[in-house]
Amino acid sequence: MNIQDLLSKDSIFLSLEPGSREEIIRKMAAGLTASGSVTDLEKYVQAVLAREAQSSTGIGFGVAIPHGKSAGVARASLSFARLAQPADWESLDDKPVSIVFMIAVPEENVGNEHLKILVALSRKLIHEEFREQLLKAGSADEIIELVKNI
Amino acid sequence: MKKLLAVTACPTGIAHTYMAAESLQKAAEERNVPIKVETRGAMGVENELSPEEIAEAHAIIVAADTDVLEERFAGKPVIKVPVAHGIKRPGELIEQALAKQASAPAAQGAPAAPKSAEKETSSAGMIYKHLMNGVSNMLPLVVAGGLIIALSFIFGLKPAEGTLGYQLLMLGKASMGLMVPILAGFISFSIAGKLGLAPGLVGGVLSTQVGGGFLGGIIAGFLAGYVVKALIKYIKLPKVMEGLKPVLIIPLASVLVVGLLMIYVIGDPLKWLMDGLTSWLTTMGSANAIILGAILGAMMAIDMGGPFNKTAYTFATGLLASSLFGPMAAVMAAGMTPPLGIWLATLLSSKKFNKEEREAGKVAAVLGLSFITEGAIPFGAADPLRMIPSFMIGSGVAGALSMAFGVGLHAPHGGIFVLAIPNAIDNILWYVVAIAAGTIVTALLVNLFKRNKIAA
Repeated sequence: MNIQDLLSKDSIFLSLEPGSREEIIRKMAAGLTASGSVTDLEKYVQAVLAREAQSSTGIGFGVAIPHGKSAGVARASLSFARLAQPADWESLDDKPVSIVFMIAVPEENVGNEHLKILVALSRKLIHEEFREQLLKAGSADEIIELVKNI
Repeated sequence: MKKLLAVTACPTGIAHTYMAAESLQKAAEERNVPIKVETRGAMGVENELSPEEIAEAHAIIVAADTDVLEERFAGKPVIKVPVAHGIKRPGELIEQALAKQASAPAAQGAPAAPKSAEKETSSAGMIYKHLMNGVSNMLPLVVAGGLIIALSFIFGLKPAEGTLGYQLLMLGKASMGLMVPILAGFISFSIAGKLGLAPGLVGGVLSTQVGGGFLGGIIAGFLAGYVVKALIKYIKLPKVMEGLKPVLIIPLASVLVVGLLMIYVIGDPLKWLMDGLTSWLTTMGSANAIILGAILGAMMAIDMGGPFNKTAYTFATGLLASSLFGPMAAVMAAGMTPPLGIWLATLLSSKKFNKEEREAGKVAAVLGLSFITEGAIPFGAADPLRMIPSFMIGSGVAGALSMAFGVGLHAPHGGIFVLAIPNAIDNILWYVVAIAAGTIVTALLVNLFKRNKIAA
């Protein structure tokens, strides 16, 4: 498995309209539904929100990584959004979020190949250059190109 | 050159674990400090720290919201923070770790406030985790021992010494005898690691000896675990003797402390309790028979092998000599219903039990039929506050009905196998009714109180 299988153009948002945390999650989930990886939007969104309720996935540096494991997910997938205006995510450093990577994992999880990719992505997000590049990228293809190399 | 180690972990294990690891590595690199980071996440344990590396390390950073087997680091300076700090303030943590005195034994976590807050929110979950570690290690002994004892009944209820039936009975009892020590030992192991095992096992054996049963075993396990933890933390030795701590000082001190507490603080009061209960039952014997049956029944179920259970059983067998057969019947009926009730509960509501528990439920049925009350202990020990009241009420109903129907039992054990012996039971059909009623009440209450399992 490689990263293109996880991240489709339907689920990349280069300038997502501002809104509440839930609104952003819902819009991104709709993208995942359009690409066919999420089959039950409501079920998946509930799983993501439940995870957020536990503790925020805003990890600081303006990045949030909401994620959910749900029967409403057909295959592991990723959605990327750059927010038109930074949104509050109750982040660890209290700073608003402008980059969101949302992760969808099916309930019956076969293999851990996609986990490896998510782990690599998490590690990569610590590095400032990577975040800068994500903020600057001009097209969905560029985003895919960026995450491809991780 | 000061070498640092770190461990990162978070409950979901997808992102935070690895981000904290990366963050710490990056900060260490910037400072030219060698560091190795162990990650405990969705990918399992990666980059595991070896005992040699731990021995060599200057200090260890633990950035984790879950248990990371910290007892490995006993005697080493440890900085304990939530995983989020590993992501946010890696530089600070590295500096703190470098500033630690290498000889400082088990140093305090750096930012004290978030640490204690972390601990408190998860303490209930941790206690459950320790308990389950004991229960899951005990379960195979109950299953094997119980079934072998039941098997031995096929060769007769009083097998002659040396026969196969006798050997099976002894074998089964050997397995059952390890039950409480293993329960206590592995609760303690879960709390304090390898050093916790010895005092836990000894505490468990002592609990059996002083009549504390499995509840005494749970107490012994937690006692041993926290005693070892405290000893690791508070015993401070000159550096040259530090090596003696894990091999000599902690084992000796922990077994002594736990052992003496079990004998004098738990054991003696239990003896008084059992004496008191016996004399109380004797006065009750002349009162209402149905109430006596209910009390004996509840006593059988409250601790399943502990002081109340033993007193009720001994009381009933004592009365056999005076040709009073009613209480014996009540006691056996009450001793059969907790495992039978658990079996019925797993059948009625499979959603509330995980697969392992449903399988254990089938075994419990056989153990219940054989009057091996211990078959219900794994369920009782895992969730005592909800399960034990259910068992007690169900057993109380069985005991009271058995007395009300005037059932008499002439043999002190045997479960369903007694039915095969002519004239061993008076009013045998009513006896079956009493046991069935107790079983149904137990099962309904268990399912009423038990929460649904969250799909893991």
